[in-house]
Amino acid sequence: MLDVAPRVRKYEILPSLQPPGIPAVAPLPTGESEDTRRIAERFGEAVLAAGLHHGQQVVYIKPEQLVALAEFAKTDPHLRYETLIDVSAVDRSELPVSDHRFHTVYQLRSYSRKQHLMIVCPLEDGDEPTAPSLTGVYSGANWPEREVWDLMGIRFAGHPDPRRILMPENWPNHPLQKQVPLGGEEVPFTLTWEDPEFESLGKQILEAKSAPPKLPPGMSLENMIINLGPHHPSTHGVLRLVVELDGETVVNVDADLGYLHSGFEKTGENKRYKDFVYYTDRMDYLTAMSNNLGYCLAVEKLLGVEIPPRAQVLRVIMAELQRIASHLFWLSTHVLDVSGTGMSLLMYATRERERILDLFEMVCGARLTVGYMRIGGVSRDIPPAFLPHLEEFLKIMPEQIDDYERMLTHGPLWSERLIGIGKITREEALDMGLTGPMLRGSGVDWDLRRDAPYSGYENYDFKVPVANEGDCYARYLVRMEEMRQSLRIIRQAVDNLPDGPYRAEDRKITPPPRAELDISMEALIHHFKLMTEGFHVPPGMAYQGIESSKGELGFFIYSDGSARPYRLHVRGPSFNNLYAISKMSKGHMLSDVITNIGSIDIVLGEVDR
Amino acid sequence: MDWFELIVIPTIRSLVLIVVLLTGFAYLTWYERKLLARFHVRYGPNRAGPFGLLQPVADAVKAVFKEEVIPNHVDKAVYLLAPALALIPALIIWAVIPIGKGFPAVADVPIGFLWILAVAGIESYGVILAGWSSNNNYSLLGALRSSAQMISYELPLGLFLISILLLAGDFSLVNLVEAPRAWWEWIWLWIMFPLFFICILAETNRSPFDLPETENELVAGFQTEYGGIKFALFFMAEYINMITTSAIMATLFFGGYRLPFGIGGEIMPWLGPFILAGKVVVLLFLFIWVRASLGRPRYDQLMRFSWKTLLPISLGYMIITALLVVFFK
Repeated sequence: MLDVAPRVRKYEILPSLQPPGIPAVAPLPTGESEDTRRIAERFGEAVLAAGLHHGQQVVYIKPEQLVALAEFAKTDPHLRYETLIDVSAVDRSELPVSDHRFHTVYQLRSYSRKQHLMIVCPLEDGDEPTAPSLTGVYSGANWPEREVWDLMGIRFAGHPDPRRILMPENWPNHPLQKQVPLGGEEVPFTLTWEDPEFESLGKQILEAKSAPPKLPPGMSLENMIINLGPHHPSTHGVLRLVVELDGETVVNVDADLGYLHSGFEKTGENKRYKDFVYYTDRMDYLTAMSNNLGYCLAVEKLLGVEIPPRAQVLRVIMAELQRIASHLFWLSTHVLDVSGTGMSLLMYATRERERILDLFEMVCGARLTVGYMRIGGVSRDIPPAFLPHLEEFLKIMPEQIDDYERMLTHGPLWSERLIGIGKITREEALDMGLTGPMLRGSGVDWDLRRDAPYSGYENYDFKVPVANEGDCYARYLVRMEEMRQSLRIIRQAVDNLPDGPYRAEDRKITPPPRAELDISMEALIHHFKLMTEGFHVPPGMAYQGIESSKGELGFFIYSDGSARPYRLHVRGPSFNNLYAISKMSKGHMLSDVITNIGSIDIVLGEVDR
Repeated sequence: MDWFELIVIPTIRSLVLIVVLLTGFAYLTWYERKLLARFHVRYGPNRAGPFGLLQPVADAVKAVFKEEVIPNHVDKAVYLLAPALALIPALIIWAVIPIGKGFPAVADVPIGFLWILAVAGIESYGVILAGWSSNNNYSLLGALRSSAQMISYELPLGLFLISILLLAGDFSLVNLVEAPRAWWEWIWLWIMFPLFFICILAETNRSPFDLPETENELVAGFQTEYGGIKFALFFMAEYINMITTSAIMATLFFGGYRLPFGIGGEIMPWLGPFILAGKVVVLLFLFIWVRASLGRPRYDQLMRFSWKTLLPISLGYMIITALLVVFFK
C-alpha cells in the first residue's frame, strides 16, 4: 500500500541550532560616509537610518521617498549611481518583530565613483505589500522586480509588466515567503483511479487540447509568432523565447523563464552555511569555482574571518581557470550557434577546456560541480602534480587562443555575422544593469577584480579589456582578451604562490585536520560541533559581488545569527544580462536572435536559479 | 532500335546506377562523419564493424524500422510526396553523365546540358513542398529560405554553365569530355571553378549555405516534421545531390572519366567509372572540408552575395568567354 498523503516537511531544528539571540530589528548601520550623509541631509525624516554596515553603505528609506531617492542617487552630480545592480526582499515574519514584515533591498552601483550603495525599504504591512517600482529610474529593475513579486509576493506599483517570471502564472503561493514550507507544497495528484481529483486531472492530461497559450503583451497575431524553445538547439538550455516575426525580421521578443527554476534561494535558507557551497556549483554549472568563491566571500564578510594568503592565491588560480574554461565553452557554443555544427572550432575550444577540467579533477576530484572552496579557505591543498600540469597548460594556451582568433577574427564570415548585431550603447548598458563583458563591450571600463578587489586581486597586474562598439563583435573581442589576461593572472599567481595553510585556522569555522582528531579532545569537539550544528554567523546583512565570467555574481545574505542564512539571494549575471535580449534583437533577423543569445552568454541554471 | 535496346538495357543500367548511388550515399555519410571527426579531433563512428564501416547499415536499419509518425496538422498527400520529389531529381540527373568512353550512365542525350539545368530547377520543389505541407513555422521559414536561395543561385550557376557551353560548343556531355581542349581553355575554366563550387554549395544546401535547415535557428528547417524513413529520404537526396554535383563538376572541369594528359583512358576504357569515382571522392572531400572550417552567413548576406557579387561576375565571365570563343577558337 502506497502512502500517498502529502508530506509537509518542516525542517527539524536541533535545540542547539536555535539562534543564541535574535536582534529585535535588523542590525542597523552605524557611522556614516559621505554619500549616506548627503542622502540623509537631502531626505531628512524619510531616511530611517543611514551609515555603514560591514563596510557597506546602507540607507533605510521610507517607501514614499524610495523613487525620489533613486532618482537623486542617479542624477546628483556627487552621487552618480548609474546602475541598479540588484533587487531583493526579506520576509521578516520569522524574526521576533511585529511590523514591517517585508523589506525590499536594492543594490546601487556607481561605476564612475567606484561606490556601492545598499538601500533598504521597509514596506507597510497589509494584505498586499506594495513597493514603488524603480523601473522608471532604472529600466534594469524590470526583471528583478518581477522576480521579487513572483517569489516574495510584493507588488510593485507602476511596474510596466507585472507578470510572474519564474513560477507558472497560476502558482498558488510565493515560495520565498517564510510560511511556505520547503518542499511541502501539496502536489495535486494522487495514485488512485477513483479519486475525483484524478478524474479531472487525468482527463486534462489525456484529452489535453493544444490551447494557444496567452500571447505576451505587445505582440499581435498579425505577424508570425515563433516559439524558440524551451526545447531548441540554440537556447542554451530551457529558455523559451516568443519571437514575433515579420518575414525574417524580428518585431518583438519575449523571454519566458523558469523552466529550470530549482529554488536555490529557498534551499539555501534551509541549509547550514557550510552546506550551501555545493549548491552554488549547480547554479551556473560552467563557473562552479566562481560561484563557490562568491558565496564564501559573502559569508566571510559577515564572519569577518581572515583568509590565509595561500588560500587566497589558490582561489584566484581556480577562479581564473574557471573563467577561461567558461569563456572557452562560450566560444565553442557561440561558434556553434553562428556557424553550424560542422565548424571544428567547437571541438578545439572544448579540447582546451578539457585540460582545465582535468586540472580541477586533480585538485578536488570533480570536473564540473567542483565544490572546492570552503568558508575560510579551500577544501584541500593542491596535489604535487598540479603545478607542472598547470605550467603545461599555461604554455600551450596562448597559442591556442591565437589559433581561434586566426579562424574567426580574421575570417570574413565571422565578422560579417557579428559586427553591428545586438548593439547596446553605454547608456543602455548602464540603465539595464548589465555586467561583465556585456558592460565592457559597451565601453564601460569596470571590473570588480580591479575596482572593488576581493581575494587579493589588487596584487595582480592585469588589464581590463574594453570595447566601445557595444555589438556582438565587441563582446567577442573583450572575452578573447579576457582569456589572455586571465592567463597573465594565473602566471603571476603561480609565481607568487605562498606557503602556509590552505584554510583559516579558526576552529570555530573550519574543521581540524584529521590527524588532530586522534590526539586532541578539543579538536574532536570542534569537529563534532561543526559537522552537526555548523557555525553561527553574526546577525547582519552583506552583499558581495564578484566578477564571474559572465558578469557580476552577487550574493546577498541576511543573517539572524543562527547557523542558517535567514535570507539568501543570488544576483545571477545571466539573469540580468538576458534582460537585454529583447532590446538587442528587435529589428534584426531571426539568425541574429541566436547570435545574441550566444553573445549574452547565459546559463539557464543561473537565470532560473 | 528495338524494344530491347530502348527499354531493357536502360532499365538495367538505371537499376545498377541506383544501387551504386544508394551505396555511395550510405558510405558518403560514413565518409563525412569520419572526416569531420578527424577535423574535430574526434574518432568518429568506430563501433559498428571495423572502422565503423557498418555504421551506415545500422543507420539504415534504424531509419527503416522507426515508427511512422505523421503529425495531425500536415497536408498529408503533399507531405508524403515531398521526400520523393526531393530524391528523384538527384537520381535522374545521373542519366546523362558519361561514366566511360562513349558510355553515358543511361543515355547519351544530345541535350545533356539542358537536362542538368532542367532537373536542377525542379530540385527545390521537394524542399518547398515539405516546408509548406508541414504546417509548421520553422518548416515554412526553411522552405522560404530554400526557394529564395535556390532561385538566386541558379542564375549565376546557369550563366557559368552557359560559359562552359560556349567553350564546348555542344550540348552533349559525352562530346564535352571527349572534345580536345586548348590549354588556355582549361586555365580559363579553372579560374571559374571556385565560384562555380560556391553556387553548387548553395544548390545542394550544404554548409555554409545550409540555411534551409539551419539546426541552430530553425531546429531542422523544412524537415522538422519528418522522421524515420521520410527523413532519411531527404537525407539521401542531399547526399546524392552532393555526389551528383561532384560528378558534374568532375565532368565539366576535370575531364570526367579520363585521366589527365590522356593517360590510360585509351588503353583501359573500363577504368573510366573508377577514375570518375576517384574524382568525385576528392570533390566530396572539398564539401566536407568547407563544412568543417567555414562559418555560416546570414540569410540576407547570402542573398546579397548572390545578387551583388556572383551574378555580375558570372555575367562578366560569360561575356569574356564569348569574346574568347569568337576570337580564338
